[in-house]
Amino acid sequence: MNRLLLDNRSPRNQIQTRLLILAVIFIFFGNLILTFAPAVRLHSWQVNYRWQHWIGFVAWLLAYTTMYTQLNKRLPDRDPYLLPIFAILNGWGLLMIYRLDTDYGFKQTIWMVIATLGALFALRLPNLLTILRRYKYVWLISGILLTLLTFFIGTYPGGNGPDLWLNLGSFYLQPSEVLKFLLVVFLAAYLADTSQSRLRLMQLLTPTLVLIGLAVLILVAQRDLGTASLFIFIYTLVVYIASGKRRVLLISFLLVIAALAAGYIVFDVIQLRVEAWLNPWLDARDRSYQIVQSLIAVANGGLFGRGIGLGSPGVVPVANSDFIYPAILEEFGTAGGLLLVGIYAILAIRGLYIALHAPNQYQRLLSAGLTVFISTQSILIMGGTIRLLPLTGVTLPFISYGGTSLVVSVATGLLLMIISNQAEDQPAMINRTTPYVLVGGVILAGFSAIALLSAYWGVIRADALLARGDNPRRAISDRYVYRGNILDANNTPLTANVGPAGELTRVLRYPELSAVIGYSNPNFGQAGIEYKLDGVLRGITYNTPINVTTTRLLYGQDPAGFDLRTSLDLPLQQSASALLDDYIGAIVVLNAESGEIIVMATSPTFDANLLDEKWSQWIEDTSAPLLNRATQGLYPPGTTTSGVLLAHILSNYTPSSAVPAYTWNTTPGNEFFCAIKPGRSSTWGELISGGCINAITTINKSSTLSDTLDLYRETGLFRDFELPLETSQAIEVEEVSSYRALFSGQAGILVSPLQVAVMNSTLSNGGKVIAPQIAMAYKKPDQGWTLFEIEAGPVQLDHFDAVKAARELTQGNFQGWEISSLAEHEKASISWYVAGTPPAWHGTPITLVVTLEDGSPLIARTIGRELFLEATATIVE
Amino acid sequence: MTAVLILVFRALLLIVLLSFFGWAIYTLWLDLKFQTQSLGSRKIPYISVLQENESVDNKQVFLQAELRIGRDPACEILVDDETVSNQHARLWYRNKQWWIEDLLSTNGTYLNDERIDTPTILISGDEIRVGKVLLTIEIQQQS
Repeated sequence: MNRLLLDNRSPRNQIQTRLLILAVIFIFFGNLILTFAPAVRLHSWQVNYRWQHWIGFVAWLLAYTTMYTQLNKRLPDRDPYLLPIFAILNGWGLLMIYRLDTDYGFKQTIWMVIATLGALFALRLPNLLTILRRYKYVWLISGILLTLLTFFIGTYPGGNGPDLWLNLGSFYLQPSEVLKFLLVVFLAAYLADTSQSRLRLMQLLTPTLVLIGLAVLILVAQRDLGTASLFIFIYTLVVYIASGKRRVLLISFLLVIAALAAGYIVFDVIQLRVEAWLNPWLDARDRSYQIVQSLIAVANGGLFGRGIGLGSPGVVPVANSDFIYPAILEEFGTAGGLLLVGIYAILAIRGLYIALHAPNQYQRLLSAGLTVFISTQSILIMGGTIRLLPLTGVTLPFISYGGTSLVVSVATGLLLMIISNQAEDQPAMINRTTPYVLVGGVILAGFSAIALLSAYWGVIRADALLARGDNPRRAISDRYVYRGNILDANNTPLTANVGPAGELTRVLRYPELSAVIGYSNPNFGQAGIEYKLDGVLRGITYNTPINVTTTRLLYGQDPAGFDLRTSLDLPLQQSASALLDDYIGAIVVLNAESGEIIVMATSPTFDANLLDEKWSQWIEDTSAPLLNRATQGLYPPGTTTSGVLLAHILSNYTPSSAVPAYTWNTTPGNEFFCAIKPGRSSTWGELISGGCINAITTINKSSTLSDTLDLYRETGLFRDFELPLETSQAIEVEEVSSYRALFSGQAGILVSPLQVAVMNSTLSNGGKVIAPQIAMAYKKPDQGWTLFEIEAGPVQLDHFDAVKAARELTQGNFQGWEISSLAEHEKASISWYVAGTPPAWHGTPITLVVTLEDGSPLIARTIGRELFLEATATIVE
Repeated sequence: MTAVLILVFRALLLIVLLSFFGWAIYTLWLDLKFQTQSLGSRKIPYISVLQENESVDNKQVFLQAELRIGRDPACEILVDDETVSNQHARLWYRNKQWWIEDLLSTNGTYLNDERIDTPTILISGDEIRVGKVLLTIEIQQQS
């Protein structure tokens, strides 16, 4: 190293050496971080460290030190900024490629060595620039022929795609990359050779127009539209610089607009790209998937980046070539991205400076053209990935993966250095200076726009972008970070995180709970409690902001999650599921005092662990297994509301005990219909309990229909509960024609089994309206349980005699009150069974609801009674 | 623990990158400043002009880099003679030399009795004739 730094005397060399040392330190630390990244991700020292990229680092170091010594020998007066810039860009790109895919990293390393060797060879040619100038036609035409070859033997290395590459054994050559470079050389040589001629501009340009037109046609035919548009930009700007005629810009601008319009109609690719550019949010899953994912990656980077190896840039398609800029933004942050753009801007400024100081018109045009080439290509691709411009699939010079691209970039750099070595203090006069100023201004404006927009996505819009459902980073984080488990009321875990860190999978231990617990699946998103309380399970809600921020900053992950205790009783829940298994319907068991949901079962249901295999089957199943019928199913409540009405009536007056001797029957539609046929000597209570519509309408002497609807409203029949579950909005009606319509189900009222349970729990708790709850407490990793706060206490109803009503509705030896019902609504008959403990119950007061879409009230009662007995026997306070 | 170490490295990385960019910008600015200063402080050797029939006390000394000779009062070197055009000739300093050119005057400009039609370098002691007026040029010797 010492020997290298010896010729350090001139200020020029001092600038260069310092910049090179900084570049080496930067690339070294980048490689170092990448080595340790797995340890950070897994929070452990016992991991597989990444080492392969150090091969790339050593090769890079050797390549650029050799280049440095050789250049010092052969081009001592070159521009001091160029080599360090090329070195840092190339090293940065190589590091990113290794980080994204080690195999591609190795390939790129080999290409870097090839490019360096080529440059060292070219340095030994004494008159490289003259050779390029003299055989300009040969170069351009052979470039075009090479590109033509792709029509016949072209391939696409990645499988299916445009055939833009030539297969050279184990490597691929992309002739259009070379063609861009040759175009600049040709234009510079041609325009310099003919600048003295007295021909008019059009005549002068005709031969170039023919050749360029041919090249663009080939590219368009090969669907390499990005390169084709780049061609037009380069051609326009170089001709403008050479001629100084503004109309060149105008004509070219109009041509590009016309070509774009024509291309928009002819090529669906252009349509797609333009639409994805104008409005990516409309079709973010399909057509504008790339650009939306790219923006999310930028957002994930934030201001300072996740750190190399710690982000997830790999989820953006083709991250190692087209989308390497967002990958850099994600891992180096907006700050790193801005500095990268700044480095390209310095390169552009130096390039134009070299052009101004070049000894003759040819070299001047050549260096200006090469600068335009590198700069416009950088702006096109960087702008394309952050939605400044429509996406064009070109590479980011020096950085993107792509051997041909790298070789051409190095060649461009070499020519710039050779020209800069011949810079004169008193360069030749320039006839028209405006083009240089204007082109420089446009390039810098482009870079500034990229910088501003990068900051906009990465800082200002970051939170909104990261919160999007199609951000896969949350699911990736879940593979590394403990997600809080969901427990039942007795602390039995209902969920588990299976697998080693880095491959954690969420498993539901009791699949019959799928509809309630839900799922957190990388492919299908989230549902149920897993979805609604994601913030708690992820350790964000109830955590200190500093804690969350620190973990995110350090690991790029969320903190360890909090366990969550629910009010569910696992054994009862399993019994309910088993009882319901053969039917379509739902069961809800509530603690009538506290509102805790003890059981919530639905059938048919799905298995949250088998989403990957059966998702499409379930989504198409007409019996809707993904639905949680207990909260999302909407049914006519029928006479399940009659108990509450009875309690209200009994608080006003006592009906006569004489029961009319009608012929009660179970024929639907009959005036004396009952859900369950009463015995011979029936009481009012037995009739109402049996769901006889006529009985409840007959004894009601005090309540009008609108009073009754108010009573239902007060008892919570239509209420939208704050629960961490998916719920459906109840259908409430303003007016009901008759009590018969109300109790038969024809009134149009539709409610969920849970709402029926909440309403009826008033009969078990003495007339208190409770709010149901299922999430009870959360547990931070090294602390005890913390109860969730309940917003409002129960509300006591006036004019409500729950004790009497419950007594009336209790029959025989059965320990609780019961109501059965058969409600009809649009051809469907819904069977209900509601039961509850009487108000002065010695144990845990419960209310139970069974809803069946396909069973009879008798079956509902059988299921309900069995579960009721089990519940009252097992739940002890 | 690893994470903290890596966080320090990440910060270092950005600082190094910033230094790279900052150093490049700083030296570019230094270069700009140096060029401006060298242009601003570049010494122009004084040039003095003595008209034929005037005394040595009336010798005019100029510090500007560009002078015009003519009958027009706007000219730095005012020669009040009928044979001199309004804008007769121009003297200017470039590439470390004083140059003279004729501004298409009616009676021409002569340098040491030779008529000039292209820009010509002046040296100390040269005699310029504009119209019928003889001017003697003296240029300060640079150390």
